[in-house]
Amino acid sequence: MSGFFGFDTSLPGRGAAGQGQGRNQQQNTSGFPASAADDAFALGGAGEEEDLAVYTWGEGMGGGLMEGGDEMNDETFGDDLGAVSNNFQFSAQTAAQPSKGYGHGQTTGKIASTQSRYKPKAAYDPFAFSEDDFYSSRPSKKTTTTKAPARPKPNTAHSGSVETSWNNKPAVSSPAWGTAPSSMTKPTPPPSASFPSQSQAPPAPGHIKSLEEIEAEMAQMAIPSTSSAPPTQQKVFSLEEIEKQMMEQNVEPARQATPQQPLPPREATPTQVPGLAASGYSSQQALLDSMFPELGKAAQPLPQGGSGQGTPSFAPDQAGPPQPPRPSPEELARMEELHKRITAKIESMAKYNNLMGSSDKDFITRIQLSQLATADPYTSDFYAQVFSALKRSRMMAEGQGENPTVVQLSAGLGLGVGGPVGNRFGKMGQNTMTKLSTQVKKLVENRAQHQKVANTAALQGALGRVTRGNAAAPRPVLAIPTSNKPENRPASHLNEQTGIHRAALTKKQIMFALEELYDAILELEQMRRDAPPPTAMEEIEVWHSRCQSKVDNIWRRLMVMEPLDISNPHPFISLINPVKGQKLFPRLLRHLPQNQTITLLSLLIATYTQLDVVARAPPPPVADSSLLTRADRLDRAKREVETDNFLQFVIPGVDMIINRCGLGLVAGVLAISAQRSEVWRVASTRPGVALYTALLSKAQSVIRAPVPDPMNPQQNQQVDPAELDQWSKTFTYFLHVLLPHLPDLFPSSLAQKAAFGPGAYLLGGDNPLAEREGLEMEKREAEVWGFVAVLAVNAQEEDQTALVGALREKILHTVQAARHPSTSKERAEMKLRNVNMFLNGLGLDASMIE
Amino acid sequence: MDDAANSGISEPLDLVKLSLGERVFIKLRGDRTVTGVLHAYDAHMNVVLSQVEETIHLVDVTEDGNPLPPRVERRNVEMLFVRGDGVILISPTQQ
Repeated sequence: MSGFFGFDTSLPGRGAAGQGQGRNQQQNTSGFPASAADDAFALGGAGEEEDLAVYTWGEGMGGGLMEGGDEMNDETFGDDLGAVSNNFQFSAQTAAQPSKGYGHGQTTGKIASTQSRYKPKAAYDPFAFSEDDFYSSRPSKKTTTTKAPARPKPNTAHSGSVETSWNNKPAVSSPAWGTAPSSMTKPTPPPSASFPSQSQAPPAPGHIKSLEEIEAEMAQMAIPSTSSAPPTQQKVFSLEEIEKQMMEQNVEPARQATPQQPLPPREATPTQVPGLAASGYSSQQALLDSMFPELGKAAQPLPQGGSGQGTPSFAPDQAGPPQPPRPSPEELARMEELHKRITAKIESMAKYNNLMGSSDKDFITRIQLSQLATADPYTSDFYAQVFSALKRSRMMAEGQGENPTVVQLSAGLGLGVGGPVGNRFGKMGQNTMTKLSTQVKKLVENRAQHQKVANTAALQGALGRVTRGNAAAPRPVLAIPTSNKPENRPASHLNEQTGIHRAALTKKQIMFALEELYDAILELEQMRRDAPPPTAMEEIEVWHSRCQSKVDNIWRRLMVMEPLDISNPHPFISLINPVKGQKLFPRLLRHLPQNQTITLLSLLIATYTQLDVVARAPPPPVADSSLLTRADRLDRAKREVETDNFLQFVIPGVDMIINRCGLGLVAGVLAISAQRSEVWRVASTRPGVALYTALLSKAQSVIRAPVPDPMNPQQNQQVDPAELDQWSKTFTYFLHVLLPHLPDLFPSSLAQKAAFGPGAYLLGGDNPLAEREGLEMEKREAEVWGFVAVLAVNAQEEDQTALVGALREKILHTVQAARHPSTSKERAEMKLRNVNMFLNGLGLDASMIE
Repeated sequence: MDDAANSGISEPLDLVKLSLGERVFIKLRGDRTVTGVLHAYDAHMNVVLSQVEETIHLVDVTEDGNPLPPRVERRNVEMLFVRGDGVILISPTQQ
């Protein structure tokens, strides 16, 4: 095979076909015509040389390659063919071999990137995984399609090739991509006298002009064209063309208003190089489709407009019954102006057309696809997946079908295609996806094979050297994870110190453990989503056991089973101190079995005082926050945020666990709490109040069991008297510990206590700025009033009296404050509601107080 | 014990992972710093932060070229995407 610069003169086909070779090189300084002619010659001899696979594409390029030779475009497009044509007899050549236009399309590019530029694009290995491989691995083989029928009717010329499925199938649906619809192929020359070519090359009667021909004629108005100029526009859509298409959509009205304008070149039928691997093209198509999903559809009505009857009807795309008003002359002029500008722009960009051959594009597509393929498509595309799941559930309601959101490429690889648009791959849909996935699959297999050969490749570049790869270890295009990260340690390795006491976890350890937990939880959640179909029994078993082992793993990592006093704070408490850990809590509970959640609850309650939000509860508010230093303010704000988070994330979970408990358990954990902590101290924090309120109200609801739940017969059982007895004992103890401190639980009391100096006077003052803080305070108070209310409900008669006695001051004070004229109406209502919460539990009401 | 924690850390960015969901301090080019809650990061150190306070250190120059004493400007942003090419360092905020 000839080298890139092709100084191989001993080629057999050369002498026969290329009599004009030498002259070519002399007369054409531009590479274009030379290579085009070469092409013609080479192809002329193609028949004999098929097996030898000799190409002489590069022959003319040695001296003729010009980087910026735009000024030769005229020549390229045959503008002054008259001057040169004597020797070439293009007409004869092209007439005889019109189908070599395919070849032309490829050689029009001026910049030679690699050797392959000048080879038939079918010669590459479509599944190479390195660039070198890609271009060199397969022996070139001439495609027989070069001997296509002589008549330039691309539609039929293609019909046997694989692309037809792309080109012809969507003939109605997306003509912009495929073959021109029939309306376009009809010879409807725009009624204009400015096309001399029209009269010069009258088509044979009955001969249906191909789009390329029309195209060429219009594009080269001044050419005394013979049969057809080199149809340079035949090629796969390039990026520029797509851009053009997009732009044209924007100016479509303008174009329709001025049908005299030559059709822009983008209307060219995207004729395929017949030898091109269909899959390559299709994947590209799929990518384009996914990038511009609206293109295919929007371009659809375009041809009708383009082949309009020559009347500036300015019809809209959907030429609906109501005729829109004709545009004013200024409007027309403006549009024409706009259109001219855009045409000029497109033309200026057109010189970059076809810099990339279709194989280049394929190669890039494949690289891009391989980047997208991941071992875990669902999680890498997580948010889009969740979003599309939501979207689909909505669409389901509207009766639309389901599309897969993950395309499995092979065992360990897939592409996430979930997205906001339900059908991201457009009309191509499934078909495209299957083609695409086979391609990537092969790529992956190829890669895996090579990895076996040279698995040092993975380490290449690890030390920072930039390598291009070599034959033994080609640069990987696709990095397949060779091994999963091992479970790097037994779960309690963090705590492998033996001995009862040890230091608390460091911040870094906590964070590390949390990240591991998050990873584990994510994996588990993913596993749950991947449940096998309910019919496959064995699979379900396997799946169950895998989930179970994952849960066990998580449970061990939570370190709940560590001895209670192992450290202060307990490792588990350390884990749920940061906001991150708190957010993890509800997600954990969903997966843990009930007995474990109860263990968790007991541990949490036993070590409640070690919680940051309890041990370092935000101090009572001050009347005027301007008295605080900045650091102080920040610290307070931080603690408040932590408390809020705890209440938001952990307490609901705790509530849930408590609600599943029986009375005995509730009594048990309350006893633990009363023994292990100073109850009043815990109760003076918001998390503490929330916890106790939940416990007490659950107990009360069990004891009363007012409505037997028919759905849940077990719960109908009468409360075990022993449990009841245990509960009342525990509660009495609890209440008596709490009673002396009861007034101090209220944030307002705490604030009053804490206040000193000017703050004491400001508290409760009628400062309007303090109103908002005051309302906030009432909300906090409400929590405590709710707590004392459940205390009251649970308490025996004599205890209730004691309770009222302990709170008498507070009640009176609150009611008086509510009736005070300086108290705003809103706040007064809240105060009364708070007090009534408690009093109503005792059968009293604030209105009874004088 | 730290070995156990370190075993799961194989590259520098794994340390940044530990700060996910936490408040971090980020020093940026152009005499800027930001603190905020770290939500996401990538290999380019592109970062998404919430509750951000951005601090810009400015030195104004008088007309005759003499620098005025440096001043500091602050602004708060609820949610911020920081492009990675400006990031100099990321650290957890000291507490």
